[in-house]
Amino acid sequence: MTALGFSLQPEERTLELLAAVIREEPDYYEVAPETLWRRDRAGRFHPNGFHELFAALAAETGKPFVAHGVGMSLGTVHPDATDRARRLARVTADHALFQFLWYTDHLGATTLDGLELTLPMPPFMSRETAAIVRSGLATMRAVVPDVGVENSVFYFHLGDPLDEPAFLADIVRDPGHHLLLDLHNVYTTAVNADFDPWVYVERLPLEKVIEIHLSGGSESDPKWLPSKRVMRLDSHDHSVPDEVWMLLERTLPLCPNLRGVTLERMEGTVTEADVPLLREELRRARRTMELARV
Amino acid sequence: MSDVASRVERVLARALRATDPVAALQSAATDETLPEPVRKALARVDPDGVRMTALITVRLRFERLMQGSRSAAQWFEDDPSAFTAAFKRYQADVAPTATFPSDEGRLFEAWCAEENR
Repeated sequence: MTALGFSLQPEERTLELLAAVIREEPDYYEVAPETLWRRDRAGRFHPNGFHELFAALAAETGKPFVAHGVGMSLGTVHPDATDRARRLARVTADHALFQFLWYTDHLGATTLDGLELTLPMPPFMSRETAAIVRSGLATMRAVVPDVGVENSVFYFHLGDPLDEPAFLADIVRDPGHHLLLDLHNVYTTAVNADFDPWVYVERLPLEKVIEIHLSGGSESDPKWLPSKRVMRLDSHDHSVPDEVWMLLERTLPLCPNLRGVTLERMEGTVTEADVPLLREELRRARRTMELARV
Repeated sequence: MSDVASRVERVLARALRATDPVAALQSAATDETLPEPVRKALARVDPDGVRMTALITVRLRFERLMQGSRSAAQWFEDDPSAFTAAFKRYQADVAPTATFPSDEGRLFEAWCAEENR
């Protein structure tokens, strides 16, 4: 049976508002390991206050954790070896405590030629770039046996976005390498690049999908761009849109090795009025999984 | 070939630090020392998407700074327009090399100290 997950955000108010939902609804928790760290002036990573808080939640609930990183920059051609080793050493220590079921990060590069951009930048899709990402996944796999890459949102592409599924298939071809399929990312990219999201999904190696992400987003302000164009944003700040629920219903039966469906919500975007809505979204996800018998 | 991947990485990095990222990518698309598939890909990027990407990276840096420097956050609260002007100068002067808020805060405070000297 596929499990239901919820992403834990490093913000006290969000955690306070969602305290009951977090304890009652999901089967597992997802965390970005980097949000549980602070870095000292020498560049070494140490647990921060949220590390202790989430460890206490793990002990209290007995529910498992998965790691969804934001800092490995899998598409960077020559990553800083010292920094990557320090990150992996910290994830190793976290894994000893949280026993992550699997460990994923994003497609793209957040570090470009020494610049830290935070937002993943699109890769030039080639066999060589796929090998660079595979190599990064292999280093993660030295820590957690099951690793994966998530299809990111890119607001521009170096190539045809509908070639990305084949590129991802090349990346996750090795045993232990999986795909984290973010359906809101597919939908957002499809809206912005004007293609049918289902065409993208059905081109993916769905047998490699270990986890599905659900989230919502919003639209950019027309004043932001000189063209006044409105683009859909991967902002995780609203309810899951109907189009994403429909994608979930169609996708679930096609993923034989799926282990989890995770609902994500950005910190700082949850009000009291959102709490019952988020609970209902988790319940809807579970009902959808049960109907699909996954 | 990782040389090609490295060059693409440098092209993107320079473009995202440029005043006009779209023009920077369009200029790179005419660089005949880059392989044709790369030039084609660069020539076909969505200009709005490039601008949106550049905008979001700056916004993420701003948010990182607000979390990483109490003095910056206080300055923004007290005088948003003066702070915004200073942040624009900071963004132009200092390459983004911080991933953690505290690192961004240290970079900004060092830049302020230098500017006020």
